[in-house]
Amino acid sequence: MLGEFINPYYLQVASFILINIILGLSIYVTLSSGQLSLGSAGFMGIGAYTSALLTINFDLPIIAGIIAGALVAGILGILIGIPSLRLQGVYLAIATLGFGEVIRVFFVNWESVTKGAVGISNIPHIGREIFRMLRDSGFDPGVLGLKNNQFVFLTVFILLLIVNIFVVWFLIRQNKSRVGRAFASIKMDEKAAEAMGINITYYKVLAFTQGAVLSGFAGALYAHVMAYISPADFAYHRAVEILIFAVFGGSEVIWGAIFGAAFMTTMPEVLRFISEYRYMIYGLVLIVMMAFRPQGIIDAQVLDWFKKRKLPKRRVDHGSSNQKHL
Amino acid sequence: MVLQIKNISKNFGGISALTDVSFNINEGEIFGLIGPNGAGKTTMFNVITNVFGPTSGDILFAGETITGKKPHKITELGICRTFQNIKLFPQMTVLDNVMVGGHCRSSSGVFRSVFRTKFQKDEEKQLRQRALELLELVDLVDIMDAISENLSYGQQRRLEIARALASDPKLLLLDEPAAGMNETETESLFGLIKKVQAKGITVLIIEHDMPLVMKLCDRIVVLNFGKKLAEGTPEEIQNNQEVIEAYLGSEEDEHSA
Amino acid sequence: MILEQLINGITLGSIYAIVALGFTLVFGVLGIINMAHGEIFMFGAFIGVIMTSTLGLPIWVAFLAAIIVTAILGYMLERFALRPLRGKQGVSHLAPLISTIGVSILLENVSHHLFGAGNHPFRNAFADISFQIGSITIYLVQILIFVISILLMMALSYWLSKTKAGKALRATAENLETASLLGVNTKKIIVLTVVIASAMGGIAGILVGMAFNSVNPQMGLSMGLKGLAIIILGGMGNVKGAMAGGLILGLSETLIVAYGDSGYRDAIAFIAIIIILMLRPQGLFGQKTTEAGR
Repeated sequence: MLGEFINPYYLQVASFILINIILGLSIYVTLSSGQLSLGSAGFMGIGAYTSALLTINFDLPIIAGIIAGALVAGILGILIGIPSLRLQGVYLAIATLGFGEVIRVFFVNWESVTKGAVGISNIPHIGREIFRMLRDSGFDPGVLGLKNNQFVFLTVFILLLIVNIFVVWFLIRQNKSRVGRAFASIKMDEKAAEAMGINITYYKVLAFTQGAVLSGFAGALYAHVMAYISPADFAYHRAVEILIFAVFGGSEVIWGAIFGAAFMTTMPEVLRFISEYRYMIYGLVLIVMMAFRPQGIIDAQVLDWFKKRKLPKRRVDHGSSNQKHL
Repeated sequence: MVLQIKNISKNFGGISALTDVSFNINEGEIFGLIGPNGAGKTTMFNVITNVFGPTSGDILFAGETITGKKPHKITELGICRTFQNIKLFPQMTVLDNVMVGGHCRSSSGVFRSVFRTKFQKDEEKQLRQRALELLELVDLVDIMDAISENLSYGQQRRLEIARALASDPKLLLLDEPAAGMNETETESLFGLIKKVQAKGITVLIIEHDMPLVMKLCDRIVVLNFGKKLAEGTPEEIQNNQEVIEAYLGSEEDEHSA
Repeated sequence: MILEQLINGITLGSIYAIVALGFTLVFGVLGIINMAHGEIFMFGAFIGVIMTSTLGLPIWVAFLAAIIVTAILGYMLERFALRPLRGKQGVSHLAPLISTIGVSILLENVSHHLFGAGNHPFRNAFADISFQIGSITIYLVQILIFVISILLMMALSYWLSKTKAGKALRATAENLETASLLGVNTKKIIVLTVVIASAMGGIAGILVGMAFNSVNPQMGLSMGLKGLAIIILGGMGNVKGAMAGGLILGLSETLIVAYGDSGYRDAIAFIAIIIILMLRPQGLFGQKTTEAGR
């Protein structure tokens, strides 16, 4: 029976991986236009708090809350992204880090709304909500051979998987297009891109905002999967963790972020004994990666190696068939 | 008149890179901008494309003032350039570099690109087609999938020209396209620029290769220390005493470099 | 009352100024932002805690120990996190930043395991000694902090402008290649810079312990970000700007705690970073460079 195969613990880890993949992709997207934003934790928090507060205080359905969370994060992304155009490289990274901290301090202090450091609990849980809806219309998970909680975890996992597939598909499609080429050209040589007629203001803000929307989206999902959030969830540590997904996994290609998120989320689970020292290892990973392989584990060459082994039939009508920068 | 340079001056702190330079370029001309190193030629290109604005003066393109317009807008209006130090997109393929050049002549945004609407698919096909044609023109179509930073110097220069042409310019600005080229390559370049002219595109070219300049250009402006020294046909320039003096000694250095 | 707040502000400000000086030295010479600086400062503070509270040693021993430990940390930072990145082809300018973020996380976690979380009391023998001037109470500690800070700043300024090593450092900061061509041992200077900057962080750590009588591991991140705010305020690589910026931040924070909503105290620095970078990417006192903005 199905019930024997489904381990809620594995499903939970897998769900975290999926949320972290979206976070990793949020850094990837802004990086693909040449901007390093360390504000993902801040946008994640905004998405989480927005959705949590709307669903709790105004009885909004979860899906509306999540969309609202992502949108609010996106709007803030535009507001921060436009002035940030003036900042290059390191300065942008720091300003976005500062932004993340400001957001966190607001979460901690705006107690009337956010309940401060105590955090918000009893946030509607996606899995349980779906379960409730199905049960009210007569469905019994026992039919599938599942216990209630197995069903809940499975639902969450499947939902997140679908979301992930959509997001990855979206980004791959975007990369292999005029928009993707614009991002890449801005990343490689901003002045040249501008001279070739690319409106770099528009595209940089676009990339930045997409990153914010993704982070906010991931944050809202996080809120409705954990059912409890507090400002500490969106602090400097989170920003560094997300950074590591990209830095370790590979900052130049989509699969890098996916691999980084999957690996970094799984490792502390697999190697329980190191989980206490997890941040020390994160620190070492950053130092070592920068010294020996700054582009991350997975880069265009690694992907090429995989592709060559599979001899795919490629449709060549979208840009060159040899797109190393994707 | 395609381009009108009106009393352009450019100061950097205490240094005058350009002082009160004026000249006009007629449609269909190949117009040469020459002068010893440091004369202000690339600065002029930068002012025309608004990499930075002039300290004073105006630039009119097809009758419209373009001084102060955003660089990408200027490209949209029909001026495109190459760079003295070659600014290709290094990790992109040859084909993609040229397709990026066509960015301002296309319009598919995020939605159309992700959902591959008919409009977008047609547009991509057109962009790719146009890029291939241009690569044929500069004889790089065989290596269209090569990564551009791996190309030879001469190939990179030709690629930059193809990329600039992809933006469908009315005025093409070439910054020392023959630099580092041997005789054969320079001959090809001459043919290429002539072909560009035959398509009705006006060309403004900075060059140090004097034989090429004299053979290629319809008219020439000479800059020295940021000031306009002379203007005229190749014959007039070659016989201009001041020009000869300005170049005396330095022309020999150019050729031996 | 306001005078006392001003004194508090100046005391805090001078500590901030010293931390900021550490940042600015490293930025001036290496052109990078050392995100681990705050953690090194925190380490210094904790060494102070161990020396004074756990071992009961006098405060000057604490100073010495903090200086030594943080100097060593600085050396290791340079040797293992920064030097491998120098002279490598095509290394993005973000790499040192990311590397120092790695060091900061590493140090923070190490200190967490070594010292434990939460507040640790910082005992010092003369915490309660104070003077009355009119209606104002000034503590000996405050005077000491201020004096030590001023002396440190003066010593640094003197060293930078008058001594051979100091001039060599300034030369390296202006142009590494030229300095090296002119015979400056730039490698040594770089190591020296990071070591001095880190030691200053260590001193600041002890001063904070003296000022607040307790230290906690969160201080590192908080101080790190504030130090960033200060040098952005004062101009990256600008020594006078760092000092001025430190004082300004110290005063603003103290006044907001005294007269405004204290919870938002930490946000000031961060908001300041953002606003200043938006309006004037080169800082209040800085020179416009191509790196500071478009």
